[in-house]
Amino acid sequence: MLVLADAPQFLIALEQSGLALAIRQSTWAYPAANVGHIVALTLFAGSVAIMDMRLLGAFAAAPPASIVRPARRMAMLGLALMALTGFMLFAAEASHVATNGVFQVKAGLIALGILNALLIAGPALAKVADMPAGAALPARVRLAAIVSLLIWVSVAACGRLIAYF
Amino acid sequence: MRRPLVFFALLLAAPAAVLAHHGWGSYDASKTIVVEGPIQASSYTNPHATITVKAPDKTWTVTLAPVARMQSRGATAELVGIGKTVKAEGYASKAEPDEMRAERITVDGKTVEMR
Repeated sequence: MLVLADAPQFLIALEQSGLALAIRQSTWAYPAANVGHIVALTLFAGSVAIMDMRLLGAFAAAPPASIVRPARRMAMLGLALMALTGFMLFAAEASHVATNGVFQVKAGLIALGILNALLIAGPALAKVADMPAGAALPARVRLAAIVSLLIWVSVAACGRLIAYF
Repeated sequence: MRRPLVFFALLLAAPAAVLAHHGWGSYDASKTIVVEGPIQASSYTNPHATITVKAPDKTWTVTLAPVARMQSRGATAELVGIGKTVKAEGYASKAEPDEMRAERITVDGKTVEMR
């Protein structure tokens, strides 16, 4: 693995750290992180899909909060596992990945997705907390759900595409 | 209820979770090149092993396979170690002028497929 000499110093330091070296030298650490990243993705994407689909009107027989609250917690767990496994994959070849345009787009989209979840979806969810099953949900809530789905599907697509550009 | 289900199916289909690490898209597969010479540096690491080969034209960085695949096919760290003479058939990088991705390598009369 050759370090990209023109990459920022902290990325080179990360790539040359003992942790990154151990990930590269182990036969199984890198593949395990790769598998773990995909397993975490299924948890994360599944939870996000259930949460956002409820906000868009699916599963309307249940009160929105009864689905959205636990799904949001599972999504946070999934995101944490994705961050952990993603950091391992990133560290192993930090200077190469960070200078990849698709990765930069992905990182920006992750930031947007988290901002949407915290600043737009979060306050909007407070409004649906006491709504009964079958109630029509505010347009702002539905918009946040659509934005969330679009962002996270795009993040997943970018993740796969890093290897090809 | 039908439309949400289609939406959900699309969401699941989009991140088709293929576990291959690097694509071959950034290499020029229309033209096979052969890089032959002594191995000057060897990195037996994930996500790909790489070797530096001093060929007659220039010194190439040759990207090989992930470590587990190398091992299972008999391409041990010793086989691609410093000082061995290797013949690597593969494709030049479209981005890096001195890098190529090996489709197969031959060392000590032993040919190992990398894909």
